[in-house]
Amino acid sequence: MSATELVTVTVDGREVHVPPGTGLVETALAAGVEIPVFCYEPRLGAAVGACRMCLCEIEGMPKLQAACTLTATNGMIVRTAQTSERAAEGQEATLEFILVNHPLDCPVCDKGGECPLQDLTFRWGPGNTRMTFPKRTFEKPIPISPAIALDRERCILCYRCTRFSESVAEDGQLVALNRGAESVIATFEDEPYLAPFSGNVIELCPVGALTSTQYRFEARPWEIQNVPTVCGLCPVGCNIQATTREGKVKRILSRNHPEVDEGWLCDKGRFAFTHLRARDRIADPLRRVRRRGFDVLSWDDALGEAAELLMQAQGRIVTALSGSETVEQAYALGRLMRAGLGAHTGVLPEETSPALDAFRLPLSAIRDAELEPVAERAPIVELWVKAARRQGAQVEQAGDALEGCRRLADKRNALGKSLRESERAILIWSGEEGAGGAHLAALAKELGFAGKPASGAFHLPCTPNGRGIADAWAAASDDEGPNPEPIGLLFVSGDEAAADPNVRALAERAERVIVNAMFQGLAVGWADLVLPGTSYLERDGTYVNLEGRLQRLRRAVIPPAPDELAWISKLAERFAVEVSPHASAVFAEVSERIYDGLPFGEVGEEAPLRTRSEAPAPQLPSEPAAEGKGLRLVRYRPLFSGPAVERVPELQFQRPAPEVELSPGDAGRRGIAPGETVTVTHNGTSLQLRARITKSLREGIVRIAAEHAGELGGTVEVAK
Amino acid sequence: MNLDAIAAIATEYPERQSAILPALRLAQEEHGGWLPPEAIREVADALDLAPAQVEAVASFYDMLHLAPVGKHMVEVCTNLSCALVGAQQVLQAFEEQLGVAPGETSEDGRFTLRAIECAGGCGRAVVVVVDERYREPVRPEDVPGIVEELKRGD
Ligand code: SF4
Ligand code: SF4
Ligand code: FES
Ligand code: FES
Repeated sequence: MSATELVTVTVDGREVHVPPGTGLVETALAAGVEIPVFCYEPRLGAAVGACRMCLCEIEGMPKLQAACTLTATNGMIVRTAQTSERAAEGQEATLEFILVNHPLDCPVCDKGGECPLQDLTFRWGPGNTRMTFPKRTFEKPIPISPAIALDRERCILCYRCTRFSESVAEDGQLVALNRGAESVIATFEDEPYLAPFSGNVIELCPVGALTSTQYRFEARPWEIQNVPTVCGLCPVGCNIQATTREGKVKRILSRNHPEVDEGWLCDKGRFAFTHLRARDRIADPLRRVRRRGFDVLSWDDALGEAAELLMQAQGRIVTALSGSETVEQAYALGRLMRAGLGAHTGVLPEETSPALDAFRLPLSAIRDAELEPVAERAPIVELWVKAARRQGAQVEQAGDALEGCRRLADKRNALGKSLRESERAILIWSGEEGAGGAHLAALAKELGFAGKPASGAFHLPCTPNGRGIADAWAAASDDEGPNPEPIGLLFVSGDEAAADPNVRALAERAERVIVNAMFQGLAVGWADLVLPGTSYLERDGTYVNLEGRLQRLRRAVIPPAPDELAWISKLAERFAVEVSPHASAVFAEVSERIYDGLPFGEVGEEAPLRTRSEAPAPQLPSEPAAEGKGLRLVRYRPLFSGPAVERVPELQFQRPAPEVELSPGDAGRRGIAPGETVTVTHNGTSLQLRARITKSLREGIVRIAAEHAGELGGTVEVAK
Repeated sequence: MNLDAIAAIATEYPERQSAILPALRLAQEEHGGWLPPEAIREVADALDLAPAQVEAVASFYDMLHLAPVGKHMVEVCTNLSCALVGAQQVLQAFEEQLGVAPGETSEDGRFTLRAIECAGGCGRAVVVVVDERYREPVRPEDVPGIVEELKRGD
């Protein structure tokens, strides 16, 4: 049978034609019939048939069947509870059984109102109970981690959470203990569920057994609004819903974009939103005053003061960007500084390169590839790579970016050879030595990926919108100018820039400093003027993610102060530059210049990926990297770091320990055992860190989280 | 613990998970008949799995014990065939002789008494498993003798 042939299935008397192998639940849906499910979730792998909610009558099979475990075959005749008395009885019995020990404490349960068990009981369940004995009780709630609470009484043992842990995140930390009626969901020895994707189990749980400690007793489904937007905390740009109640963000849920995130979120994206209410959040403009520290200013005075500072600098202005600004914000700022003040010097948070646009693919292509050299990891990308490995793809560690590119580009390299031969190969790189993806693009070109639509390359940037702001800043003016010396004014845009030691160093050389930041801790002490910043959840606009996908950001809640576009527009007015305070209008202008005039309204809720576009591919730098003695240090920015994460109590347990990661070989040669304290030295400076042995690390490389690496860089030596 | 032995077991299976059961058996033998959390962690490390995955298996199977057991393990089958010929009475006799209820361990730590499901010896019911060796068939009046024998052997 060819793949395009369809099979005919009759569901409740309606004929449908579906590809063979389509799940029965989906087949019924195609016929317009809903088969109720609890445990069925195709994203978790093969169906397990644990809950029996989906019982149906299938002609030719004597007993009721769990529809979720079956697939469509030609001539199959299915009767669901809608038309089959037996199926309806079976479903009612299943629900009665599930409810034997369910507490039905809906009035105090967070899931109430959006609970599949409530809904299905209402539609299919018995109206009454025959059980007269006391129900089982457990200690509750059990903290699975500081972010997740477990109510065992409510658990219906659908195994969605444990299947996620076992076969999607592959951390194996959440399991079912014991068996039969004694089964309970647990972690080992009640240790916290410490994994980057743990929060997804809250959303997967079809009842109120796994709940978010942040959302517990915070809102009811009928008093909330879900705002569709995208996560602004890393360059993946997962699609999310921000649940708001009375003007406050209460939780973050996933919003499945099948090409970007498949409905999974990392715990940073899910739990870090409480940074909006951090104790040191700045709500008013502040001015430095001698001895007293800071004075609160009115907005009028603040803008007057800002205009004054900008004027005095006479164009000797440097703008330091964060990479978390929207495209519109970066463009507006560019218009103000570059068109209005002739100050063209922008310090970007990282290098970006358009050359990779020629090898663009959706993230979901990673899952379907057959060969993937990988250097470094990023949150959701890691899940796609795991999915690929489960499907049999060969995943190789490629070492660090530049050196890895050189090795694979070499015609004699065996892996490089397979890459040239493969039709579905994907390169995934990151790291500062990658020149923003330019080296990787050169490698992809060398390997002949240009003519292969299913082969591609990803360079993972460090900042959520690094590419977007670089393009927008560049588009703001066609003029160029010299770098000012000395610097009259340093304008720091955003908290990440304010936290960046390089930007701090620039400030030392600047006469005056304006900081635009959310948090006092990052602004006070070095800024002459502080303008309150906003978060991605408080802005309208667009972001460009690591695929090069333009995505729409929506304001979920009103910020405590006017957003950046509002005051940049006012300031620009004083310098005779017209910038709209509305994201839609600013986007229209940017779009004319760099996005082929795409209208704002068409960026869309489920944004498409733009097609591949040619850019001259750069050359790989040919001279080999300086081969110093010792181990190459890779400093990385851990997922759980940054100004927002630092301000979320529920995420503190996830922050990286002061560790140095070594490969087993390097550790063995130095006689270093896991957990031992070791000294890492570079050029006379040294640090004491705990050793961690990472099997997937290539020999000759050590990794340290940037926040624990101090001044270390280049090559280091590690000793006991 | 004998980590090399576990690693050797692991090579006999296509998937590491499959080695959990034999590895746990070995660990239980080495830890005095039960599996303390350290044992589970060691097995997990040796097989490169999360300890929770190993504990899930350990808690599922009846012959793996997660709490300390006595020096002697007395298991009385109380499933159908044995029940028909007086398993309850045999169990009761053990309870009286040992002074413990099923599932408990005597205070001196010498005996653990358990009621178990079919031991596969139905043809010669009642089956009593003493320290992994079958006694069959056992009648209530045989019980004092068995207990005496165990005490004497210590
Ligand atoms: S899980 Fe659903 S059915 Fe159970 S108490 Fe909560 S709302 Fe009610
Ligand atoms: S906790 Fe929730 S997801 Fe996990 S098994 Fe129980 S009901 Fe299912
Ligand atoms: S949905 Fe089919 S058995 Fe659970
Ligand atoms: S019932 Fe006791 S051995 Fe089978």
